[in-house]
Amino acid sequence: MAILEIKNVSKFFGGLAANADVSFSVEEGSIMGLIGPNGAGKTTLFNCITGYYPPSKGEVIFDGRRMNGLDPDKVCMLGMVRTWQKVRPLAKLSVVDNVMVGALAHTSSLKVARAMAMEQLMVVRLEHRANFLAGGLPIGERKKLEVARALATQPKLLLLDEVMGGLNPAESEELIQLILDIKERGLTQMVIEHDMKAIMRISDRIVVLNSGEKLTEGTPQEVVSNPDVISAYLGESHA
Amino acid sequence: MSKTILKAVVGLIVLALLLVIPKYVESPYALHMMILLFLSVSQGQSWNILGGFAGQHSVGHAAYFGVGAYTTMMLMHTWQIAPWFGVWAGMVLVVLVALVIGSICFRLRGPYFVLASIAVAEILRLSAINLTTLTNGAEGILATELPAFKVAGVVVTDFSTKVPFYYIGIFLALLTLGITYWVQHSKLGYFFQAIREDQDAAHSLGISISLYKNIALVISAVLTSLAGAFYGIYVGFVDPPTVLGLDVSVQIMLICIIGGMGTLWGPVLGSLVLVPLSEALRSNLVTDLLVRGGVVSADSRVGIFLKENLSHAHVLLYGILVVLVILFMPEGLMGFIKKMASRRKQEAV
Repeated sequence: MAILEIKNVSKFFGGLAANADVSFSVEEGSIMGLIGPNGAGKTTLFNCITGYYPPSKGEVIFDGRRMNGLDPDKVCMLGMVRTWQKVRPLAKLSVVDNVMVGALAHTSSLKVARAMAMEQLMVVRLEHRANFLAGGLPIGERKKLEVARALATQPKLLLLDEVMGGLNPAESEELIQLILDIKERGLTQMVIEHDMKAIMRISDRIVVLNSGEKLTEGTPQEVVSNPDVISAYLGESHA
Repeated sequence: MSKTILKAVVGLIVLALLLVIPKYVESPYALHMMILLFLSVSQGQSWNILGGFAGQHSVGHAAYFGVGAYTTMMLMHTWQIAPWFGVWAGMVLVVLVALVIGSICFRLRGPYFVLASIAVAEILRLSAINLTTLTNGAEGILATELPAFKVAGVVVTDFSTKVPFYYIGIFLALLTLGITYWVQHSKLGYFFQAIREDQDAAHSLGISISLYKNIALVISAVLTSLAGAFYGIYVGFVDPPTVLGLDVSVQIMLICIIGGMGTLWGPVLGSLVLVPLSEALRSNLVTDLLVRGGVVSADSRVGIFLKENLSHAHVLLYGILVVLVILFMPEGLMGFIKKMASRRKQEAV
């Protein structure tokens, strides 16, 4: 069953089509990879899905509900949460407090929220940093914190915007494991990623965007062998 | 655990001392200083909830201070309604004002919000000057005769001394301190701080930005209006510049900036610095000390110059102090103390 359906979504900034007529759907429990060259409109699509931009055209259907025009906070409460390509820790709060903010979406008790937050910190293996200030974490741990905080809101669909960007190979490997662990628990994920090896390993299906349009969609194998994808990434002569 | 008990004991001792001060101190001037201190603490704490915790740096809190003061005074002056009833009307009115201001200004972020908050306070100040039939315009409202406060027919106080004001002041300071503590230790505090740290991130985590900004504003505005009403009845006089002027807004903000924004004790520390300082500057204590200490003689040109000008210079010195604090203690006194403490801890390790 599709948990998220994107139907003919377009987003225009003036005359520029950041997304043009993009359609695909994400199956429950799967990992959908979203790739494309820089400026292909991946993050814009995330923003359209999560309520930061209203789509200029088209529909976003999540869990049977039309999401167009809902604010980001409503989107989160309905079970769809995103992380940020440029991490956004709540710098002056401790790591556990950051995650608690997420947990407080569904509870008013600080005690319950704290317990939930610690649980998510264990999931991302950041529990030893619980009382550190979030602003003082190195990039790899900030990325994990983003994931823990998003998980704490108890989502049905997790949207990860380049969680491996800027990480070293060991850190990337940890995050790949983390994403697979999260999948294991039955949570649906949509992942924007530049690291092709990583995206090939984790995705069940991949959508390729290029200049705002959907270029192709398929299993990782289908996508990498598609000549259009190769030319989009490497130029015509390599196709 | 023992640390919390220690804190509680120290707190109770300080509170007990504060409560018995009027029994032993009769100097009206000393009581006046303490009342100003309590007023400052409650103003600072009120602003702190919106500015310190939710990160919305309002430079228009004079609006709420003035509405609270004016409503209470107008009701007392025109309709002889006792201030302890009038203050409720002031609070209701301030909630309405805050929601109107919030719905307009919270569309804006950062410096734009600051400018809008100044503009709104200025609109109210100009209205107070020009709506002469309602507010008596620039002349202000003088209402020094307070009715006696009675409970079940027994006169509790007739406000003939400063002592009842002292206790009202303590009550206000404790109330705002208590509410700040409650906010800090609840979901609200977490959401306010999340909005302060990163509005977009907070939004993505299910926090309705406009709802929680408005909650912060309403709490902050209502408490500020209480302080305003208290100021009005204590001084017995309000006019547009003293309760609605831009310097009132700045003064309220400074308490937190100097003490430490977004901390429970910041506004208390800020008040402990600012109230004595501004009083010392105003009454030209500095010149007195210099003269008495023999640094300058009272008859020399420097001495005369200082005597004539230093009391007027308190705003200037105030400004210099703020610049110094911002340069060297960007987190305020509270942040500075915390930094020192953690540095000492690190050195010990």
